[in-house]
Amino acid sequence: MVSTPRRTVLTGLGVLSPIGSTTDAFWDALVASVCGVRTVSLFDAYELPCRIAGEVPGFSAKGMIDKSYRRSLNAMARTVELGVIGSQLAMQNAGIAKGTVPPARIGIEFASLMGATDLNDMAAASKLSSPDDETVSHALWGSIGLPEITPLWMLKYLPNMPACHTTILYDIQGPSNTQIPGDTSGLVALFEAARILRRGTTDVMVVGGSEARINPITLSRHNLFVELSKRNDDPAHAVRPFDAARDGTVLGEGSAVFALEELEHARGRNATILGELVGWSAGVDRGKKGPGLARVIRNALASANIQPSDVDHVNAHGTGTTAGDAFEARGIAEVFGRDVPVFAPLSRFGNLGAASGLMELAGSVLALKHGLLPGTLNHEKLAADCPISVHTGAPRPVTKPYAVKVTYTDLGQCAAAVVKRWSDA
Amino acid sequence: MRRRVVITGMGVITPLGHSPAELFASVVAGRSAVGPIVHFDARTFPTTFASQVSDFDLAKYLPDAAKFRNCGVNTKYALAAGKQALADAGLLEIKGDRSRMGVYLGSGEGQENFEVLTSSTAKATAAGERTANLREAAGWLFKRLNGPQEAEAEMYAPSGYLADTFALDGPFASCQTACAASSQALGEAGEMIRTGEADVMLAGGSHSMITPTGISGFNRLTALSQRNDSPKTASRPFDLTRDGFVIGEGAGLMVLEELEHAKARGANIIAELSGYGSTADAYRMTDPHPQGKGAIRCMADALTDAKLNPTDIGYINAHGTSTQANDAAETAAIKSVFCDHAYKLPVSSSKSMLGHLIAAAGVAELVISVMVIQKGVIPPTINLETPDPACDLDYVPHHAREARARHVLSNSFGFGGQNIALVVSAFRG
Repeated sequence: MVSTPRRTVLTGLGVLSPIGSTTDAFWDALVASVCGVRTVSLFDAYELPCRIAGEVPGFSAKGMIDKSYRRSLNAMARTVELGVIGSQLAMQNAGIAKGTVPPARIGIEFASLMGATDLNDMAAASKLSSPDDETVSHALWGSIGLPEITPLWMLKYLPNMPACHTTILYDIQGPSNTQIPGDTSGLVALFEAARILRRGTTDVMVVGGSEARINPITLSRHNLFVELSKRNDDPAHAVRPFDAARDGTVLGEGSAVFALEELEHARGRNATILGELVGWSAGVDRGKKGPGLARVIRNALASANIQPSDVDHVNAHGTGTTAGDAFEARGIAEVFGRDVPVFAPLSRFGNLGAASGLMELAGSVLALKHGLLPGTLNHEKLAADCPISVHTGAPRPVTKPYAVKVTYTDLGQCAAAVVKRWSDA
Repeated sequence: MRRRVVITGMGVITPLGHSPAELFASVVAGRSAVGPIVHFDARTFPTTFASQVSDFDLAKYLPDAAKFRNCGVNTKYALAAGKQALADAGLLEIKGDRSRMGVYLGSGEGQENFEVLTSSTAKATAAGERTANLREAAGWLFKRLNGPQEAEAEMYAPSGYLADTFALDGPFASCQTACAASSQALGEAGEMIRTGEADVMLAGGSHSMITPTGISGFNRLTALSQRNDSPKTASRPFDLTRDGFVIGEGAGLMVLEELEHAKARGANIIAELSGYGSTADAYRMTDPHPQGKGAIRCMADALTDAKLNPTDIGYINAHGTSTQANDAAETAAIKSVFCDHAYKLPVSSSKSMLGHLIAAAGVAELVISVMVIQKGVIPPTINLETPDPACDLDYVPHHAREARARHVLSNSFGFGGQNIALVVSAFRG
């Protein structure tokens, strides 16, 4: 590009996580190596093979939602509640009150997947429509079941609802989009938000991801097709990124929302700057072999105009699955060898799905800000198929200004973001 | 100078045809695809009809179609439309580096197993109770759900399989902004080409909500037409007696390409994607702003982006859903942006014939918009019989009309207040 692109800085962060529901609590828990993976308590998961997960303890939207908007909670599933409250926390953290940015100059990019229906929303209708409890009669559902369903049923679960409610709550009239490519959704949303800021369409973007995954539908589904840990009796040590004894991941829930802002706009209102998004790339590694992920990481470094040796640490998805970690390690190793330490925060809170990318990124943004990199929890013995160097044990000082966040989906869709420690130089 | 984005390939799977040519011939002929729902037994539902894809067989498009047997139609329709578009663009053959070719798909939720969800919930609910025993329900769901099918229902699957199947190794995204999704995908994919992140993007949408859950959800919101005695006249955009939209399904994909890249390989340039506007209403979850506040700004932004004046636009392909709220608000918004020109400007709704393809609606309608420029024929709005004083533009009622248009604007407005306008232009080097 000929002109210098508008710079994009992070000026607010809201988190609702299994290890803390304020930014400070989240950071303290990262440093103290607190684990938020526990036996599932939101429902009795006894019948499922994996019944441990990362839940947001004591989350109550009713107690946190802006009073003017409390009435709308009846149209929000837990995924939506987490997203809207996360946005509120991010906006408060950024110091942006409704109306202080012209509505057309602020937009939103969210990562959120289809919410699982609350089974109690369909219990009465299901009972009436399935007299034998084995099959369902469409004719009964259409005639006597359907009237038992709340009129707002569908609205509670649509993926674009966290963004939609947030636009109404904060009078956001710039672009509004919702990304759905699985675990990469959050970073893909972040990249698009940065593109929108760079081209001058808006000055502020709310960028978030939220997902509530600890419910009968989502947990039973994922028990069927995801390698989940069998360590039900030892949840705090269940997820073991890049470890020789890893045996699968666990699900988690939560919400991570950033305010991403054009630098001069942030300076103009004396915002506190948490870090800078300086580069990114997305691309596909067909068959999850490794070289494709390496290409994406290299492209991200090139877009930030930096070398691998400039990077303090790589923030990996590190799900603790057998094939996933091996793939990710191959890609990282091709670019960084064993020279740059890898930090994987997921073992502390589980795989948050649509919220995973930005929650994991928050770990690195805070690490750069505080100058301290926490260790990777439950990484004890490096697996032979993971040719990387994993940072483990006590926190160590941050020595270089950049961190690279990596994530992927099971179809090899890969995303990498480069963030830089903020300094006014 | 800004990198220009041109369209070099198009493909569709729709209720009115499985190719752009078939689709366009159908809408010019004023045909409706609406009929009784055949995908499941909907005879007792408040709405019993829809606009459905028929005679679809993925094996006609992919030799290894069996590999996708556990996938939902969002994936299958996308693969078929994607193959058409890439073949049209001459980019199907996989050779050399494909890392600057990406995917941006507007898509829907993964299709849930309604039968297992309801029967398992029923089994875990005591007679006369309104709440289920969740422990039991989870157990039954785990026993009854089909693992491979559930894996394919993950929302990254349709975009992921497009990339995987056609070796599109570059940047990707996939959005779900209801009825605006595929237009938003096209607009933002164009931006990814403009910024230089990609040279080629396969972009569009794929969606079906013609499922028990989808119809139930829209019926409870009273968003669907319930004209069960006359399905073919149920979608009546801008007509006074309109009573809701008619749900459709399908997919459309376009190959968007950077102009110099297209020229260098001697590609056939179909049209230029010249303008894009994207705004939020910040008004209500289900209703558009009554004066079309967000719609006005997105159309104005798209014109500015295309460096055009309102009078340059020769045709508008309206969102035109056949709901009371949309058609009045959209008309008001068009009048606000186009002033006097609004009354000289043909505006028609393809949804009167095609139904509402939800996440795939925008791209199917943009394919039609491009062909209006190519063919010099504007498809009609059918079923427009009783004028609505609030809708007083030239909606091209009943019959197609010959007219030249160099620039066409297409609107897509989504549930939740996402508004997208795209401008396509005849290509001039």
